Amino acid sequence: MSGALEQALVSTLAVVEPPALADGPWWAALVPLLPLLASALTGLCAAFGVRSKLPAWISVGSLAASFVVAVMVYFQLQAAAATVPDLPHGASTALHTVIYQWFDLSWGTQPGQHFTANFGFYMDGLTVLWMLFVTGLATLIALYASEYMAGDLGVGYCRFFAGFNLFVFSMACLVMADNLVLLYLGWEGVGLCSYLLIGYFYKKPSAVAAAKKAFIVNRIGDLGLALAIWLIFVKFGTVEYAALFSHETFQLYLGWARDGFHDKIPADVQLIPFLLMLGAFGKSAQFPLYVWLPDAMEGPTPVSALIHAATMVTAGVFLIARTLWVFELSPYALPTVAWIGGFTALLAATIGMAQFDIKRIMAYSTVSQLGFMFAGLGFLTSVGAASHVFTHAFFKALLFLACGAVMHGFAGQLDLRKLSGVARIPGWRIVGFTMLIGCLNLSGFPIVTSGFWSKDTIMAEAFVAHGPGFQALGILLVLTAGLTAYYTFRVFFRVFVGPVHYEPGDELHGHDAHAHDAHHDLPHEEKEERAIESELAAKAAAAEHPGEHGFHPHPPGWAINTVLVILALGTFAAIPLVLFPADTHGWVGGMVESSTAAVETHAHDAHGFWSDPHQWMLAVSTVIGLIGIALAWWLHYAGRTSAARSRADALVPALGPIAGWARNKWYVDELYDLLFVKPLWALSHLFYYFDALVVDGLVGLAGWLPRATGRILRPAQSGQLHGYAVGMAGGIGLLIVIVLLVTKAAATT
Amino acid sequence: MTAALLAQANYPAPMHGLTLAHYLFVAAAMFAIGLIGFTTRRNLIIMFLCTELMFQAAGIALIAFGRYHLNHTGETFVIFVLTVAAAEAAMALALVVLLFRRRETLDAEEWQQLKG
Amino acid sequence: MVRAGTSPCRLPLPACPSILLALFPGPRLDQVVNQVALYVLLALGAAGVLVALPRKGLNPQPIGMILAAAAGGLLVLLMSLKAGEHRPNLFFYIFAAVGLGSALRVVTHHKPVYAALYFIMTIFASAGLFVILSAEFLAFALVIVYAGAILITYLFVIMLATQSPAEEESEVLAEYDTRAREPLAGVFVGFVLLAVLTSMMFRGVDDLPGPGPAGADQSLLAQYPGKVMAPAETRPEIEAMPGKKFAAALDEQKVRNIEAVAYRLLADHPGAIEIAGVILLMAMLGAVVLARKQVQLDEEAKARHAASLASEVTRSEGAR
Repeated sequence: MSGALEQALVSTLAVVEPPALADGPWWAALVPLLPLLASALTGLCAAFGVRSKLPAWISVGSLAASFVVAVMVYFQLQAAAATVPDLPHGASTALHTVIYQWFDLSWGTQPGQHFTANFGFYMDGLTVLWMLFVTGLATLIALYASEYMAGDLGVGYCRFFAGFNLFVFSMACLVMADNLVLLYLGWEGVGLCSYLLIGYFYKKPSAVAAAKKAFIVNRIGDLGLALAIWLIFVKFGTVEYAALFSHETFQLYLGWARDGFHDKIPADVQLIPFLLMLGAFGKSAQFPLYVWLPDAMEGPTPVSALIHAATMVTAGVFLIARTLWVFELSPYALPTVAWIGGFTALLAATIGMAQFDIKRIMAYSTVSQLGFMFAGLGFLTSVGAASHVFTHAFFKALLFLACGAVMHGFAGQLDLRKLSGVARIPGWRIVGFTMLIGCLNLSGFPIVTSGFWSKDTIMAEAFVAHGPGFQALGILLVLTAGLTAYYTFRVFFRVFVGPVHYEPGDELHGHDAHAHDAHHDLPHEEKEERAIESELAAKAAAAEHPGEHGFHPHPPGWAINTVLVILALGTFAAIPLVLFPADTHGWVGGMVESSTAAVETHAHDAHGFWSDPHQWMLAVSTVIGLIGIALAWWLHYAGRTSAARSRADALVPALGPIAGWARNKWYVDELYDLLFVKPLWALSHLFYYFDALVVDGLVGLAGWLPRATGRILRPAQSGQLHGYAVGMAGGIGLLIVIVLLVTKAAATT
Repeated sequence: MTAALLAQANYPAPMHGLTLAHYLFVAAAMFAIGLIGFTTRRNLIIMFLCTELMFQAAGIALIAFGRYHLNHTGETFVIFVLTVAAAEAAMALALVVLLFRRRETLDAEEWQQLKG
Repeated sequence: MVRAGTSPCRLPLPACPSILLALFPGPRLDQVVNQVALYVLLALGAAGVLVALPRKGLNPQPIGMILAAAAGGLLVLLMSLKAGEHRPNLFFYIFAAVGLGSALRVVTHHKPVYAALYFIMTIFASAGLFVILSAEFLAFALVIVYAGAILITYLFVIMLATQSPAEEESEVLAEYDTRAREPLAGVFVGFVLLAVLTSMMFRGVDDLPGPGPAGADQSLLAQYPGKVMAPAETRPEIEAMPGKKFAAALDEQKVRNIEAVAYRLLADHPGAIEIAGVILLMAMLGAVVLARKQVQLDEEAKARHAASLASEVTRSEGAR
C-alpha cells in the first residue's frame, strides 16, 4: 500500500472515536477543592494549637462531602451518556469542565506554537471510577486515623491531617486533570505528600531515610513522565487528552500501529510510551523502581493504607490506562509492561515469603499485586487491571488497617515471630475476622472473594492475548498467585490464630494508650518522654515476667472497628460490581469500557471449557490458591505451640542459601547501592575534593595573594612622612627611567 | 614696523641650548638637595624650608626656559609659584605652630597616625 | 656639532656599564657632558651630601661639604668645557655656586635659624640668576616676597616653636635636629632622581623648539593700546610733530620687562590671577583661624603641665 493512498484512507476514517465531550458541572471542582480547603483548615488548627480531634472531623467531613460530589458526578455522567443513545463502537462520553485558564501561551500562528493547559477536569468512566474509590477510601482511612493517631494529639495530629488532605487533593487533580500538565501537578503533589507523610516521625532516622528514598526514587520516574509530556507536546502540539486523541497525526499513527506498520512511526514517537512507562513504574513501584515502597512502611499505618491501597500506587496504573492508545504506538511498549509487571509480581512475592515484619509483607504483596495490574495492562485488558485496582483498593486497605490495629495495640510490635493467637484475645475478634476476609481476598479464595474474580481476569487474559512469551508469563502469574496465597496465610496463621503469646514492641510512637490518656494535656516533648519512660517500664516488666503479664494490649476502639467492618463489607460488595452485568465485564468494566482506556477485546471464538481460558482459569486458580493456603496451614498452624517457631523453620536449611537471599530481598538494595549509590558517592567525593582543593584553593589563593602582598608591603606604611616622601620621589625616578626606555625604543625603530 | 620696535626694545639675544643646560642643571641639583633635605631632616620647619628650596628650583627652571623661548610665560608662572609658596608658608607654619602646641616638639616622627 | 657614529663611551668597556649605555644612549647627552663623568660625579656628590648630613657621633660635615662642592664644581666645569663659546657668563658661576652651596647648608645645618638664614642666601643667589636671565621684576619680587616676608615668618615660627632651654644649660640642640633620618635612602633616591632628570633634560635639549621667530610675543605687545605708537600715517598729530620729538616719543615706548610680564599675565591668565587672590585670602584666613585656636593639650602635655604647676605650688609653699 503506497503511503499517500494509505494516508488518504486513514484521514477519512478515524481509527478510534474521540470521546464525545459534554459540559461538566462546575461543582465537580469541589472534589479536589474540599480536601484542599480541609488541608488549609487543619493547617490553621496547627497554628491555633488545637489539641482536640477537630482536624480529624474536618477531614472526615470534607472527604465524605467530596465522595458525595464524586457520586453526583457519576450520575451526571450517566445522564450525559444517556443523551447520546447510539454511540459508535469504542466511542466514549466524557464530562469536561474548565475552572480557570492556567497556561495560555502563543509564540506564533503555526500549529504547535500554542500551548494551553487549563485547570480543567476531564471526567469519563475511568476517571469517575478512580474518583469514587479514592475519595471513599480516603474518608474511611481518615476516620480510622482519627483514632489511630490519637496519641499525637496537637500539632502532630494537625500536621498529619494537613498532609493527608493535601494528598487527596493531589490525587484528585491527578485523576481528574484534562491535560498532562495538571496531571503532572498532581503527580508531583502525591510525591511530595508521600514524602511528608512517610517522614512524619521525623525524629526517627529510618523514617527520614525512607522518606528521602521514596522521594528520590520517584524523581527518576517523574523525569520520565516530564520528558514524555514534553515529547507529546513537541510531536502533537497539545497536552490535552481530548485534543491529543482526536489529533490527526495521532490518529494516523494509531491507524498504522493497528495495521501493523509500526516501522512507519517515527522512533521518537515510539519513545513516548517508554518514558510514560518509566513514570508509571516509579509511582507504582515496579521492578527497577519498587525499592521505595517497602521502606515507606516507616510512615504511620493510615498513610501506608492510603498510599499502598487506594491512591498513590494506582496512579501509574491510571496513567497507563489513560494513555493506553499512546502505548499502542510502539510494538514493544505493552509487552514490556506485561513482562516487567509479571517479573515484579514474582520477585515481590518471593521476598514477601521470607519477611517477618507483617507490614512489610503487606507492602511486598502490594508490589506484587501491582505487578498483576501492570501485567493486565500489558495484555491489553484494561478492564481486568482496573477491576483488580478496584478490589485491591478495598482488601489491601483492610489488610493494612488490620495490621495497623495490631501495631497500635501491641506498642509497635510487627514481628510475626513475637505475636500469636491475637484473634483469641478478647476485644480483637473483629480485627481477626476482618483480617481473615482480607487475607482470603488477597490469596484469591474462590468464588466468595472479589480478589479471586479480578485476579482471574488478568491471568486468563495472559493465555488469550497474543504477545511474546505471554503463555509463559501466564504460568508465572499463576505460580505467583500460589505464592501469594501461601505468604498471606502465613501471616494469618502465625499472628491471629494459634497459642496466645505476645511481646510488646519498642517503637517510640508505640501507642500505649494507658500512658497517654493520663497526660493528654502535656506538651508534645514531655509527653514523648513520658511515653518512653512508660514503654521502658513496660519492657522491664515484660523482662521480669516473660509472657503477657507485664503488658496489656489495648484493643481497637469503635472508629477502627467500624472502618474495618465497612471495608470488609466493601470487599464483598465489590464482587457483584466486577461480575455483573456480565456483558460489560461488570459495572467496573462498563466504567472502563466507556472511557478512552477501552480497547478492542481479543476475539476468541472458541467455546467449551478447555478452549476458553476464562473458564478453565477459574478452576486452575482455585486449585493453586487452595494449595497455597493448605501449605501455609500445614507449615505455620498445624501443631504449632510457640510464637517463634513453626514447622517451616525445619524447611529453611533444605532451601540452602535461597531463603537467606529472599529474606535479604535478593540484595536488590545492595545491588543498587553498588551500581548507583557507590559510584555517585565516589564521584561526589571526587568533586568534593576537586572543590576543596582546586576551586577553594583558587579562591583561597585570590585571598591569600593580597594578604601576602600586604604582609610584604606593610612595613612601608610606617606612618612616617619621610618614608612616603622617599617612596614618591623614588617612584617618579622609576617612571622617568621607564619613559626614557620607551622613548629610546621609539627612537631606534 | 614691529621688527623695528623690537630692535629698539633692547630685547635680549637668543640663548643657546647648551647655555640653557647649565641653568637646568643648577635647578635640578637644587631640587635634589631640597628633596634630600625633606626626606632626611626631622625638624618640621626645616622640612618646609626644603619644600621652599624645591619651589626655588622650579622657579629657576621656569625662568630659564622663558628666557630660552624669548617669552614671558615662564615668568608669569613663577608669579603663581610665588603666590602658592606664600599661601603654603602661611598655612603650613600655622599648622606647625598648632602641632608644636600639641606635642611640644617639632619632630616629624612624632606624628605617625598615617599608619592607620 | 653632533659627532654621529662616534661611541658615546670613550672609557674602556669595564668602566662603562652597558646597562647605563642601554638606558641613556649617548650623542645628545654627550654634547652637554660626558655621561660617564656625569654619573661618577653625581655619585661623588651623593657621597659628599651623605657625609655632610647631620648625624650622631663622628660627623665630618666640612669634608662632606667640600666633597659635594668639588663634585658639583667639576660637573659644571665639564659642562662649560663642552659648551665652548656657548658657556654662560661669569656671574652664572658665582650665583650658582652661592645658591647650591647655601642650599646644601640649609639641608645640613643643625640649627633651624641658621638654616633659614642660609635659605635667604639661596634666595639672593636665585634672584641673581633671575637677573642674568633678564627677569628683573621677578628677581626683585623674589627678594621682597621670600626674603622679606616668608622667611621672616619662618624665623618667627622657629622662635615660637623652640623649647626654651633649661636654666643651667645655655643652649641645647633638639635630638631631631642633630640626627638625620635614614640619610642613605634619602640621598640615594635624591641623587638617582637628579641623574634621571639630568639625563632626560639633556637628551631633550636638541629636541626643544628653538627661540623661534624672535618676538612672536612682542607682536602682541605691539598692539598694546597707548604704549606703542601706531603707524605714523594713522596718527596725524604725531606726524605733524617735529622730527626729534617723534624719535624721543618712540624712545619712550621701549617695552620693559615688568610691562611685558604684566601684559602676559593680564592677557593670558586673568582668571588665574583672581584665583590666586582667593587662595591668598583663604590662606590668610586659615592661618588666622588655625593659629588663634586654643587647642586642647593632649593628656600627656596636660599631665606635664599639671606636674609643673604642682611643683611650683609646693616650691612656693616651701619658700613661705
